[in-house]
Amino acid sequence: MIIDINFVGLIVASIMASAVPLILASCGELITERSGVLNLGVEGMMIIGAISGFALMTVTGSLIIAVFGAMFAGVLISTIFAFLTQTLITNHVATGLALTIFGIGISAMIGKNFVGIPGKEFPVLFEGLKDTIPLLSPILFGHSIVFYFAFALPFITSYFLKKTKIGLIVRAVGDSPESASNQGINVKFVRYACILYGGAMCGLAGAYLSMIYTPQWIENMTGGRGWIALALVVFSTWNPIKILIGAMIFGGLTIIQFHMQAIGVRIPVQFLTALPYIVTIIVLVVISRDSRKIRLSTPSSLGKSFHKDN
Amino acid sequence: MNTNLKISNVTKIYPGCVANDNVSLEFNSGKIYALLGENGAGKSTLVKILSGVVIPDEGKIYLNENNLKLNSPSDAKKNDIGMVFQHFNLFETLSVFENLIIDSDEKREGIREKIESIMRKYNFSIDLDIPVLNLSAGQKQKVEIIRCLMRNPKVLIMDEPTSVLTEQETSELFLSLKQFSEEGILIIYITHKLKEVMDLCDEVAVMRRGKLVSVSEIKNENIESLANKMVGQNLKIIKKKKVKTSSDQLIKITNLNFTSEDPFETNLSDINFSVNRGECLGIAGISGNGQSELFQVLSGEIISDKNSIEFNKNYIGDLNPQERREYLMAFSPEDRLEQAAIPQMAIFENVALNNFKSSNFFNNGLINENKIKEHSKKIISDFNVNTDNIELKSQFLSGGNLQKLIIGRELITSPDLLICFNPTWGLDVGAINYIHETLIKINEQNKSIILISTDTDELLKLSDKISVIHKGKLSKIMNADEVTSEKLGILMGGAN
Repeated sequence: MIIDINFVGLIVASIMASAVPLILASCGELITERSGVLNLGVEGMMIIGAISGFALMTVTGSLIIAVFGAMFAGVLISTIFAFLTQTLITNHVATGLALTIFGIGISAMIGKNFVGIPGKEFPVLFEGLKDTIPLLSPILFGHSIVFYFAFALPFITSYFLKKTKIGLIVRAVGDSPESASNQGINVKFVRYACILYGGAMCGLAGAYLSMIYTPQWIENMTGGRGWIALALVVFSTWNPIKILIGAMIFGGLTIIQFHMQAIGVRIPVQFLTALPYIVTIIVLVVISRDSRKIRLSTPSSLGKSFHKDN
Repeated sequence: MNTNLKISNVTKIYPGCVANDNVSLEFNSGKIYALLGENGAGKSTLVKILSGVVIPDEGKIYLNENNLKLNSPSDAKKNDIGMVFQHFNLFETLSVFENLIIDSDEKREGIREKIESIMRKYNFSIDLDIPVLNLSAGQKQKVEIIRCLMRNPKVLIMDEPTSVLTEQETSELFLSLKQFSEEGILIIYITHKLKEVMDLCDEVAVMRRGKLVSVSEIKNENIESLANKMVGQNLKIIKKKKVKTSSDQLIKITNLNFTSEDPFETNLSDINFSVNRGECLGIAGISGNGQSELFQVLSGEIISDKNSIEFNKNYIGDLNPQERREYLMAFSPEDRLEQAAIPQMAIFENVALNNFKSSNFFNNGLINENKIKEHSKKIISDFNVNTDNIELKSQFLSGGNLQKLIIGRELITSPDLLICFNPTWGLDVGAINYIHETLIKINEQNKSIILISTDTDELLKLSDKISVIHKGKLSKIMNADEVTSEKLGILMGGAN
């Protein structure tokens, strides 16, 4: 059997495309969690982003308004979460779960009128270079701007956390909000900002799904990707580069198991469908075994409410 | 330049408690001031007000005649007031350098030089690039002090700074503080340790129940006069009578090892000791050197090899705490509200947690409430717990009353051995005295005690024999009358 080298390139590109929403949502949630806030509403924020992006695209016809609108919708719904958990000091876990249920419900309601409407074509970059280099061309060229942004994001996030003053403050707040507050850092403000940023990234991840990856609206179209994104953050031990690896493995196995099913490999379908989940977790657990490093990168105050007493 | 700090008529009221009642004080640079008081006297609240963490209900603060508005910690910093808290305000997972630059606006390169020059000047040696969680308590405190010095403070406030330090680290700290004072920084030193006040300070202000009770110069005071001012009554001085201890061995630990899976716990290696009837064995050490692991191994929270613990001629290393209690061992853990008692449960329910077969608290799986309540009332009256409501949730008891309840619960069945871990930690002088008397009484009844404590004075007062734990290893066991606190300090620091 001769394998067409460009075909391999195309498969890699499709794996990368399926990893994009996971990377975006995980990197957003990573910043939120590094500030000590556990937001389990990722799935809800993604689906809100998906319907907002698709609806705005259909109504206004503008892709730019749609993308930024989806991010704004993510910010808006995460503001609810921030207000509840930071101002009213509610429990992070319960509030996050409520946010997901709320997001799925309201997106289905808004989405009623958008089922069956075809999406618009999203412009891609470097299309002219598509046939220049064998293997690499389909991987490197001809993708949407969101795609390139997603693959730069883990590196930007890593740089932000390690090298910038604001990144340092985010980590400090996640390590000990009490100490941070006594140092004159406005803990609530930092946590609000991180929650809202996480919301924006989840909104963008949702918009990518409904506008670029599969340009249409289907009820519940995030299909559990929000939960996978959450798991990636934890199993990567809050390390953006490992999120990238995890998202690629997950995306890769999802695509490959589809192809295996299509070819008719004699492995039970249930096992093939479960494979990406199992392998991703095993790989991330193995590469993140060093318990010292885990202790150093885990936000110590994760999920704990902070209340300043005066 | 001379610095003058004035606190004028400061009042802070919390629900159910007046933390500061119309306090006025004045400080001038060039002197070291002590703010002395028991736990809950209001001294911590007062310094939190000075550092902007707590906002007073009434009153004003003046620095060099300027009225300061301290609404947040950054206001205090802007006005050159530096503060080193009792519980360190450090970020454990960040590096020392990151901890130091977090509230500074300067460029990274410049700051590193500045930090290094401060460290050279005061002879501090700390690796700037390791995470803070790898530092000793004394080093962490130095990081806090450097952080204050970086801002060239006019006022430096130290809140109970020696509670986690060794003898040597304490004298190093005192030298540094004297140096700062000579350089014109106004030092306010908060403590409840009288000896430190006498050794270090020039003037002392004593607080009691939120009120300022006296301001005086150290040269006019002595330890007894300060103690009486602090407590408000004449203190009974407790001393253990030296009795001849028996040679009848009660508990013997042989080659006990414990390896933790958590890298931030301490491993215990090769623990060997024995305690005779009527004896108190004190185990000294700086916190975090394996005391809590040792307590857990002895109490059965961590199970070890069956033969490693021999108690009353039985091998009990593989038994859990309740099974060990049936053999007449008793335990008083360090953390009163997490390990020893359940905060949300009533006093009598907490008593019922020590469920002996003989006590009949339960009949066929049903709670025998009358029996438990009767038993609880006996504990409360025998052990002087200051409440008559046994349905009160244990979280509402003061530290002293809770500790009396726990000790009472353990002792009411007259066990042969009591193992306690920091039994007087954070208690006021009255409660400490009561607990010490109780422990002495146990020894007089020919029962034994293993006392794990970070308070050297307490150990010297109560122990017959003393050993020191350092990095999970015990030093050789010494007779208490042959050791001094200086010698203990050296062993606690890891020297032989």
